Amino acid sequence: MSYQRQRSAIPVLATLLVVLLLLAGCSNTGSTTASSSASDTAASAKSITMSWPRDIGTMNPHTYNPSQLFAQSMIYEPLVSYEKGGKLAPALAESWKISKDGKVYTFKLRQNVKFSDGSDFNAEVVKKNFDAVMKHKDTHSWLGIVGVINKTEVVDDHTFRLTLTEPYYPVLQDLSVVRPFRFLGEAGFPDNGDTAEGVKAPVGTGPWMLADYKQDEYAVFKRNPNYWGKAPAIDQVTVKIIPDAETRVAAFEKGELDLIYGEGVISLDAFQQLRENDKYTTQLSDPVGTRSLLLNSSNPKLSDVRVRMALHEGFNKQAMVQGITSGLEEPADSVLSKNYPYTNIDLKPIPYSVEQSKALLDEAGWKLPAGGTVREKDGQPLEFEMIFDKTDPIQKAMAETIQAEWGELGVKVNLTGLELTVQIKRLKANDFDLYFWYNYGAPYDPHSFINVVASPGFGISETLSAIPTKKQLDEQVRQALSSTDETKRQELYRSILTTLQEQSAIIPISYIKKTAVYQKKIAHFEFPASRDDNPFEGIQVTAP
Amino acid sequence: MAGYIGKRMLSIIPIIFVATLVTFALIHISPVDPAEAYLTAAHIYPTEELLKQKRHEFGLDQPLLTQYVQMVGRMATLDFGTSYLTNQPVWKEVAARLPATVELALWSMLFSAVVSIPLGIAAAVYRNSWIDMLSRCISYLGASMPQFWLGYLLIFFFSVKLDWLPVEGRGTWQNLVLPVITLSIVLIAVYTRLLRTSVLEQMQETYVQYARVRGLHERMIMLKHVLRMSMMPLISGMGINLGKLLTGTIIVEQVFSWPGFGRYFVDAIFNRDIPVIQCYVFFAACLFILCNLLVDLVQLYMDPRISSSKGRAEH
Repeated sequence: MSYQRQRSAIPVLATLLVVLLLLAGCSNTGSTTASSSASDTAASAKSITMSWPRDIGTMNPHTYNPSQLFAQSMIYEPLVSYEKGGKLAPALAESWKISKDGKVYTFKLRQNVKFSDGSDFNAEVVKKNFDAVMKHKDTHSWLGIVGVINKTEVVDDHTFRLTLTEPYYPVLQDLSVVRPFRFLGEAGFPDNGDTAEGVKAPVGTGPWMLADYKQDEYAVFKRNPNYWGKAPAIDQVTVKIIPDAETRVAAFEKGELDLIYGEGVISLDAFQQLRENDKYTTQLSDPVGTRSLLLNSSNPKLSDVRVRMALHEGFNKQAMVQGITSGLEEPADSVLSKNYPYTNIDLKPIPYSVEQSKALLDEAGWKLPAGGTVREKDGQPLEFEMIFDKTDPIQKAMAETIQAEWGELGVKVNLTGLELTVQIKRLKANDFDLYFWYNYGAPYDPHSFINVVASPGFGISETLSAIPTKKQLDEQVRQALSSTDETKRQELYRSILTTLQEQSAIIPISYIKKTAVYQKKIAHFEFPASRDDNPFEGIQVTAP
Repeated sequence: MAGYIGKRMLSIIPIIFVATLVTFALIHISPVDPAEAYLTAAHIYPTEELLKQKRHEFGLDQPLLTQYVQMVGRMATLDFGTSYLTNQPVWKEVAARLPATVELALWSMLFSAVVSIPLGIAAAVYRNSWIDMLSRCISYLGASMPQFWLGYLLIFFFSVKLDWLPVEGRGTWQNLVLPVITLSIVLIAVYTRLLRTSVLEQMQETYVQYARVRGLHERMIMLKHVLRMSMMPLISGMGINLGKLLTGTIIVEQVFSWPGFGRYFVDAIFNRDIPVIQCYVFFAACLFILCNLLVDLVQLYMDPRISSSKGRAEH
């Protein structure tokens, strides 16, 4: 054996390693400078740093993933803005007129609005944006307005007209959502005008503009000097991309972050722990959505309203929500919370009563056999499968609690943890007994909710398919969506929500809330009215 | 020797073939239709018409064999398709994130070598001393503690409590320290024990006794002969771990917000971004093949007896 050969192998390996390291080092030079520049700028007095689990994305106002809604809403603005309680306020449209038949919407656009690059905002650019969105109608078919837009017109420089094929009352609500109907400046459009293929630059009219960005690492937003409205109190927002929730908390405790905001962005335990620490301020939002349990009425055992009602009454919602979410969610009495338009009505809550529940099951013919633990009827056991997202710890804990409580009633529940995609697939295929479901929140609800109640394919209409008044319910939904009479619409909503409450095919469990944790440096913080909007407008900071 | 190298190269072909089959099978055995996965990732409601259109676009309505041949043809030119999520070419996205992962992997390799080589040797030479005990403790720690947990502990002590190092991100050398330590502990645990055993084995060999008989100094025997021979298993271990590091820094990248390839892959899994997952599986297979080949060639270079089939079997 030649020792000479062995001796030379080690330097060869070492050289290889050094070369590779140098390569890695070289490729990193760019990010080193960019990263330090981000942290340098973040040090300014009126700036804040927050974290987000995912990269902000391509900042295209007309497409969806991977662009993050909160960031899109910082740059791009709607014609109409959604305010607290569902009030609609002028934004890029100063005013609007709706024709008597509810089919023609004429918008007076705000004058002297400029995009962040200094170009004019006018009816031409509004039409161009609408047309770019409507070119890919199928992509946006989930949004009701997309299905009814017939014509877009420039009336004059500051007047834009929208003609519908049929009346549809939530036009303004749909226009207030973060995507797809927000406005990109001329300079942002690609040469062929098709924004589905990408945008040249994120040029918007909003209060913020993207100043520095490194994919998967950070994004720095600065105030748009051309902004038409009241300038935000802070002049810079740095968003650090931190995918791991525990790391996010550590970065916050070390002072690298001023704010952690969002839904489920940190664990409930971590939130509790930060809430108990006087060094920080924490806030919980109003309900942004409802966690519900669907009881598929097309299953013959669940088609009997007495069985559904017995299940609704047969578990202690209050104790379960308190125990599992540490009070960060609120027990829900109705499918939609009262902070949406038309939903502030007094529905009779369904009380927790084990006795009443047992009596209802007996009445429905489901009896406990002597010495048995599972109720039976015609030789059939009262047994269901409950499917849940196995990556969601709250769903899993709730499923187990309900399983135990219903077990006491003589109802057997088999739990199946699934991947979210498979779970959604089974919902749409109507292949489930019991399913955890969430509504959409503001500004989508209540109209999006009643829309899925009547439209097949989303799983909700199927869940309700065997309730006796389903046809009537569908007709009421159709009328409510197309009605131009406010009072009549309110009545229809009352009737729809009352029917749903009485039928108990959708059991409301809890109202989900957003959380915010921030350093004392932030003097004022307010949750946005719309679930997807950014929270930066209201933020005020004290001098360090 | 040339024959051995030739054979070794040829054996790569069936492995690559299996790798392409596995990546192809990913689409067809997954419970989720790629067309549906695409539409879900893009937040588009999947109507039957749209699903049909997308299936046609992805070529999923073609016979399986045609689909497979087309896929292999594309992969040969590093065309892994377009990410469902970002609409960007997958290879371009992967290539943009690779440097960060390579940086982390190589520093971890280097650091673990720098720590484990002296520690392993010292543990063998001063058997049952305090240094041997220390190496044993590190090995237990490295082998038994999950990486994410170690990562959190390091962040808690060195970043939050002591305020010495940043919690997350990439950019400066300070950002590298904690992820590199987290990744290295496992490697140090393995290498130290490997080297210790190997040195002890070599010290029993006849050539060492012969050298002693010749009157060579103990230190000379150690440095000139034992160490060189003991490095063989370490080199093969490091080669295999390089592949592991380049593909498996996922958890550490997640914990330290390191913008690398692993984190990109985790996102792809959550979003069912099948082209990205396919690219990852294929890329990982190729990397492991390459690392194994590299190890074999280095070992062959150091010990040409390996090229004879007998030597190979004994090895």
